[in-house]
Amino acid sequence: MNASSPLPTDSDAFRAAVRDFLREALTPELIRAGERTTSVFSDFEAGRQWQSILHQRGWGAPDWPLEYGGTGWDIQQRYIFQEECRQANAPTPVMMGIQMLGPMLMHFGTPSQKERFLPGIISGSNVWCQGYSEPGSGSDLASLKTTAEHDGDDFIVNGTKIWTSMAHYSDWIFCLVRTDKTVKPQAGISFLLIDMATPGITVKPFTSLDGEVEQCQVFFEDVRVPTANLLGQENQGWTVAKSLLEFERGGQHFTIDLKKQLSKMQHMMSSETCRVTADPTFAYRVAETQIDVMALEQTELRIKGSLTAGDNPGALSSLVKVSGTELGQRCAELLIEAAGQSAIPWQSEVLAPSYEGSTAAASESVTTMAEYINSRATTIYGGTAEIQRSIIAKHVLGL
Amino acid sequence: MTEEQTMLWDTADRYLRENTDFNQRRDQIAEAIYNQPQKWQAFAEMGWLAMPFPESMDGLNFGLREIAILAELCGQYLVTEPLIDTLAVASTVLMRSERATALVPDVISGELIAIAAIDEPTAESRLSPSCTLSQTESGWHLQGKKYWISAGASATHFVVLADSGNGLAWVLVAKNAEGLSCETFPTHDGKGGANCHFDLPINDDQILLMGDAAAEALAAFRECAMTLSSAETLGAAQAALDTTVDYTKQREQFGQPLASFQALQHRMANMLIQTETTRSLVYAACDAADRDSPDRGRFARAAKVKSAAVGRKVTQEAIQLHGGIATTDEYIVGHFFKRVTALETWVCSKGEALQEFMALDA
Repeated sequence: MNASSPLPTDSDAFRAAVRDFLREALTPELIRAGERTTSVFSDFEAGRQWQSILHQRGWGAPDWPLEYGGTGWDIQQRYIFQEECRQANAPTPVMMGIQMLGPMLMHFGTPSQKERFLPGIISGSNVWCQGYSEPGSGSDLASLKTTAEHDGDDFIVNGTKIWTSMAHYSDWIFCLVRTDKTVKPQAGISFLLIDMATPGITVKPFTSLDGEVEQCQVFFEDVRVPTANLLGQENQGWTVAKSLLEFERGGQHFTIDLKKQLSKMQHMMSSETCRVTADPTFAYRVAETQIDVMALEQTELRIKGSLTAGDNPGALSSLVKVSGTELGQRCAELLIEAAGQSAIPWQSEVLAPSYEGSTAAASESVTTMAEYINSRATTIYGGTAEIQRSIIAKHVLGL
Repeated sequence: MTEEQTMLWDTADRYLRENTDFNQRRDQIAEAIYNQPQKWQAFAEMGWLAMPFPESMDGLNFGLREIAILAELCGQYLVTEPLIDTLAVASTVLMRSERATALVPDVISGELIAIAAIDEPTAESRLSPSCTLSQTESGWHLQGKKYWISAGASATHFVVLADSGNGLAWVLVAKNAEGLSCETFPTHDGKGGANCHFDLPINDDQILLMGDAAAEALAAFRECAMTLSSAETLGAAQAALDTTVDYTKQREQFGQPLASFQALQHRMANMLIQTETTRSLVYAACDAADRDSPDRGRFARAAKVKSAAVGRKVTQEAIQLHGGIATTDEYIVGHFFKRVTALETWVCSKGEALQEFMALDA
């Protein structure tokens, strides 16, 4: 499972320092939360606690520029940091604020908006969710119908947002709203920052296919939002939205998670419960997947190597998103085959970080089925694989 | 289909359509009800539980082709009741056992729900169990663990595959027997499972088959389970495709129905091609078994491999073409995906069937 590391050896000292920190800072419960993560989100409280620990160490947002609380690490150091966190089973905090909104505030925000919102994001004290999709506007995002109308110094917001991950835990939501119905759809959208505690907002959580609750629908009824909460110019929200989606799609190192899945595979293949050790075709498929992961890793490094901190990778983020998510699905398929019958139990209580009891599933396949089920959503959220391919066709190939 | 088969299909389809409610199914699973007593009783009254038995036992003497009709409908209607599980055991293990003759009336009436317990932690256990049946002064003793028994939560009895020291044995154990500790749990596909620890005395009457007869029954059970899981997967895949076609005709994005985009039309056309070719192989496997053709084992394995690959692909595509809505538990299409995933590995995985297919052809 040795996807070759492209990092030079002088990073060893940095890696050792990160490891030392993780060994000290990660409690058994936080590690369990990391181990039992079945989607992009870990147990919410564990994630929040971990973000606060990272922030206290000064590592709350390594990808941010130094002036906003970033670390000043170079691209390799940031990669090592993420990799070590993942390998040590650190939980994943809700990242919509840090990964998506933060960079937008830095690009488009006024000085007072930056001052007001960035500190709460990096400390984890303000959790943000993303209000983009609507029931009738998924892939066709620009057709969104939630409206914001001027009323004195406020906007009055009406409508609904769907697939708002973790809205039931969030303090704030960043939202795309329609501020002009008379122009072409993309030209009449604005980007609003809305306090979830504002009267008129209700949240309806959904049970996902794996039995967990992460997704919500958010309803807005005459919600009063100060015009000072507009990010960027009025009716220029589409520019902000597109830029943010590129961060969402390209902002993570997919290969770190993929390599983690491959090492789980290695662990499972050495376990007595593995159903496929005698199957030579399986080993070939694992090896081919490993090679594809190596190809994506080099691609990520090639793209990110040409960017400086805070930049955005443009349409190439679509390439990375399609490859990363589809490879993740392939790894999840291999894992489910290796787990076989031992992955059929579904015990949601086992996923709680405080759970220390026995499990009906084999211990190495407790999360395998949920991860496989959840992997199907990765080619839908953040712009479907179909939309990504259309972006590549149009903006990269010029078709 | 023959006239008799068409009639069976129509009756079963009508019953399941009228008595299946998706939201009710979710509520019952949440309450750990996997086998609704009225439904199970109705299955018995319609003769479904009597299908494999000969007329001399008050059975219907139906073949695998007829049983597969029920399996296909189980896939379409997401039946959680242990129908294919019990029919696979009845058609193979119980049918071969003289000692089981006395039990058959209870099986047909639905009172005795016998589920096979074969899986143990190691992959090899499916063919050579480490669960032991050993002779004692007064009789026998069964010792060992069986895990991840699909539909195990609905069983009244387990039919346990064990090593007797003198070949394999199939042993009947009541779920409430002293010396059996049984933990039941929910499963992702809604069938409800069980993990069992056996440590109990066994009398002669409980030993259904032993030695060569037990080995033959295991081979027959596996082959039957391969074909029935293929048929259920087929039913689920077809239903996922139908749901997707309906949805994409209604759902509009960019000012037109999703179904009007050529890229998506082609994907649904592929789903159809794959489902129909799977259907041919599943029906051929049933006919080969019913004719006792020398090819029967080869066809069963082919159907298993094909249906597992197609069931996975078609239900994954169904989710993808729906988009976000299919990732919620409140929408039906993901449940076809979850059931098909569980069927992939039930009794014999796709990988196991593929290797056996290659060995047969070698």
